[in-house]
Amino acid sequence: MIKKFIHQFASPKTYLFQVERAYKFILYFSIIIYILSLVWGLLFTQEDFVQGNSYRIIYLHVPASFLSQSLYISMAIASFVYLVWRVKLAAYLVISIAPIGALTTFIALTSGSIWGIPTWGTWWQWDARITSTLILFIMYLGLISLHTSFSNYEKADKLLSWLAIVGAINIPLIKKSVDWWSTLHQPASITLTDKPAIDPSMLYPLIGSMIGFFGIIICLVIISSKYQILLREKNKSWIKDYV
Amino acid sequence: MKLLNLEIIKLKKKTRSWLGPILVFWLIMIAYPLTVELSKENIEVGFFSVLWISILLSMMFATEDIFTEDYNDGSLEQTLINDAPFAYYVGVKVLIHWLLIGIPVSILSFIFSLGTTEDLFLSLLILPFSIMSSYIFLNLFVLGNALSLNKGSALGAIITLPLALPILIVLGKSIVAIQLEINYLGFMFLLLGSLSIIIVTVPIVVSFIIKAHLE
Repeated sequence: MIKKFIHQFASPKTYLFQVERAYKFILYFSIIIYILSLVWGLLFTQEDFVQGNSYRIIYLHVPASFLSQSLYISMAIASFVYLVWRVKLAAYLVISIAPIGALTTFIALTSGSIWGIPTWGTWWQWDARITSTLILFIMYLGLISLHTSFSNYEKADKLLSWLAIVGAINIPLIKKSVDWWSTLHQPASITLTDKPAIDPSMLYPLIGSMIGFFGIIICLVIISSKYQILLREKNKSWIKDYV
Repeated sequence: MKLLNLEIIKLKKKTRSWLGPILVFWLIMIAYPLTVELSKENIEVGFFSVLWISILLSMMFATEDIFTEDYNDGSLEQTLINDAPFAYYVGVKVLIHWLLIGIPVSILSFIFSLGTTEDLFLSLLILPFSIMSSYIFLNLFVLGNALSLNKGSALGAIITLPLALPILIVLGKSIVAIQLEINYLGFMFLLLGSLSIIIVTVPIVVSFIIKAHLE
């Protein structure tokens, strides 16, 4: 039954009709959650003992950083699915995610730079975490430029998938950079194994902002994937029913 | 063995392909002291950074047309339908390029390091780092060239350059470790471990990528 569900959902047609129903709800819900979390975090949480009010950029920076890496992992998984099982939808998702991933990485780098001024006294430092995140941003741009340089979509999809899988080596490097090297960037405050190093009054709006931001980005990916499907399947008869 | 000999003959015949990158490396290393204040301390400060980047650039040039000629004359397709695994062909190509370009560049690194720092111990340790890093860079740029097979090497180089940046970071840290004599062997083994993974996986990945181009 699960196999049947996956097979059905893997069809671009089924995917398009199914997400059309769900994504507006996800978008509005996520925007509300994100705005509420931002209001809570910006207006109703106390100042940090060391950083003062400058820490509040955490409600943009942390979700963006987390998602920039998660989106790349999603791309690598979708690439694997496409190369192994030849699921067309996976290929459409890979190219849909790339520009959104680049956007979130850019937000992470920019918000991090803004946070760096009051915290470290500098916009930029060639520290392991920041440099590896910059590498990730360049990787996203490289993936987009590779795909757009080929007119044959199928060839472009395969090459993009291979590059996405190879480039996934960068993600554990980014994740572990604060542990393996002595970096200016602080270690993770929230981990799976330890108690959070962040006060609950700051943690809860942070979790809310991550959920909200995640939902907004998922909707952007859905919109991007819809565009890809319309572009690539434009000659199919079912497109007329959709449009 | 036949393939090895054939690739050696092919590369040796194209003097520009193997001599060019070596000369580029030489030129950068010679030009570097001209751009800084002529005192030993000033030259030493940026020397190793310039060294690693020169190796990176010369390996980029070395792989510029590694597959182009074979792709244009159809021998790439012929090799694909041969009995021997295509990944073996890619591995042999990279090995030949490394023997004819990477090794001379590494020896030149030792000589330039000795001339600049006048430290034999440091310069001797540069040799294995140069040898390994040149092979790693060659593999990475071969991957890039395979991705942009008929689109020009610049696209491929730009795409795979981010993958070379972590290696540059390790090389930078290894020089500090050598100079302070702390745990430089750890960095050497880290590079060796990376190389052993890359040496196996890159030819396999490149073979799939080239098959995708030729299908």
